[in-house]
Amino acid sequence: MGLRDILTGRHSVQGPAPDRLFAITTAYVTLASEHQIESRGSAAIVFQALATSEFETTLRETEEVVSATGGESGTKVSSQNDSYGYRWMVLKNPEASGSVEDLAVGINAVSGSIETAGYGERLLCAVFAFAAKDEKIYFIYNYKRGYWYPFVPAAGEQQQSTERELQIKAQMASELPMEPEVERWFPLWGIPI
Amino acid sequence: MPARHESFGKDTGLQARMALTLFLLGLVYVVFVGVLIAAGAAAVTVVVVALVLLLVQLFSSDKVALATMGVKEVSPAEEPELHGVIERLCVQANLPKPRVCVMETQMPNAFAMGRSRKSTTVCATRALLDLLSPAELEGVMGHELTHVINRDVMVMTLASFFATLAALIAQFALFFGGGFGGGYGRNNEEEEGIMLVLLVSVIVYAISFLLLRALSRYREFAADRGSAVLTGRPSALASALLKLSGTMERVPSQDLRKAEGMSAFFIIPARTKKSLMNIFADHPPLEQRLAALERLESQLQGTA
Repeated sequence: MGLRDILTGRHSVQGPAPDRLFAITTAYVTLASEHQIESRGSAAIVFQALATSEFETTLRETEEVVSATGGESGTKVSSQNDSYGYRWMVLKNPEASGSVEDLAVGINAVSGSIETAGYGERLLCAVFAFAAKDEKIYFIYNYKRGYWYPFVPAAGEQQQSTERELQIKAQMASELPMEPEVERWFPLWGIPI
Repeated sequence: MPARHESFGKDTGLQARMALTLFLLGLVYVVFVGVLIAAGAAAVTVVVVALVLLLVQLFSSDKVALATMGVKEVSPAEEPELHGVIERLCVQANLPKPRVCVMETQMPNAFAMGRSRKSTTVCATRALLDLLSPAELEGVMGHELTHVINRDVMVMTLASFFATLAALIAQFALFFGGGFGGGYGRNNEEEEGIMLVLLVSVIVYAISFLLLRALSRYREFAADRGSAVLTGRPSALASALLKLSGTMERVPSQDLRKAEGMSAFFIIPARTKKSLMNIFADHPPLEQRLAALERLESQLQGTA
């Protein structure tokens, strides 16, 4: 943001950063083999749903396309609103193992068609669901930044295990492009997967 | 699929008015500095004093204000909804997370403080959290975060530097009978010089006061607009503004008086008396803000 923008109080919402979404398709192998963190076979993408008929049409078409192409791997698509008024599109794969590639392709198809329609600045995050035994672990991809970070919810309302997240960062830093500023590891509450 | 251009058009009118205001302020200040230099070297002392004051103001005003207003920082566990709304807005606006505070008062309002993106505090009052729906709260917080993105505290403090200086000089000149001209062997020429500086200071102060108020109003419009663009929901902010202004009128005036000094920072002005004229107000009239948001909603819906 330049001096001129500051003086005139003008700013525009940033669009997506260069895409590093597919880093997860190689990282999940290490996660499973070395750290016993397994995919739960689902992923989701969260964005601001504009209340316009044009945007809803885009979403409907996207959902149809992803359902059609995901048919071979059995990926199911659904969408829902959360309590903050954001829209989630959820992709679920019946077989948990080896599905991360399919999920990443599906998520990329959703973000791709939202971007092509000119709504790229509405994309927030993509979330991939993992677990180590009973512990839920999420890997969140921030579209504005093009970085990943782990999110481990803990027992209690809006509690997270920062210690576990930092451990995972240390384990995976060489494989996933991690968000360098830890204060930008925003927890996402109300993840539907 | 046809590629769209932008959900929201540009508001060139607003930017032009803001640029013009800044230009006029600059012009007034250049003349002022010119007269100061012409008046003599003693004026330099006053400038240095004012500079120090400016720095103090820039680096401590937020802390002082927060301390005197009885604001309390809250954790995510205490205020899950407020934190959730702000976290998502920060992702969307690509901002680091600010400190989140709550002020226990019956007046529904919100403000943001801090001179940069890294040291920011956003504050909502208890009544605001009780009154608004999550989408409306998001609109209000988007407005406050846009003030942060636009660095409004910094811009307004810097812009008012010379107005503060002019006020200082005028006071100096009045109290000490133009003593800052200095020296015993004062003659008529020097007397005239001092009178001229005093006169110019008063004029500079008067003009820059009005220009600063205008600038403040334009920055409010820009923040409303920024919030609408950020959240994609202009009508949610409009609805929040309507609710807030409706409730503000019923707030006990004791609470209002306590907060009056902070009025410029609030989303809705806290004032016991209505301003006589719009040119003295630091916030634009509600109808104009609603009309601007309505235009944005029509642009979004593609009907404008």
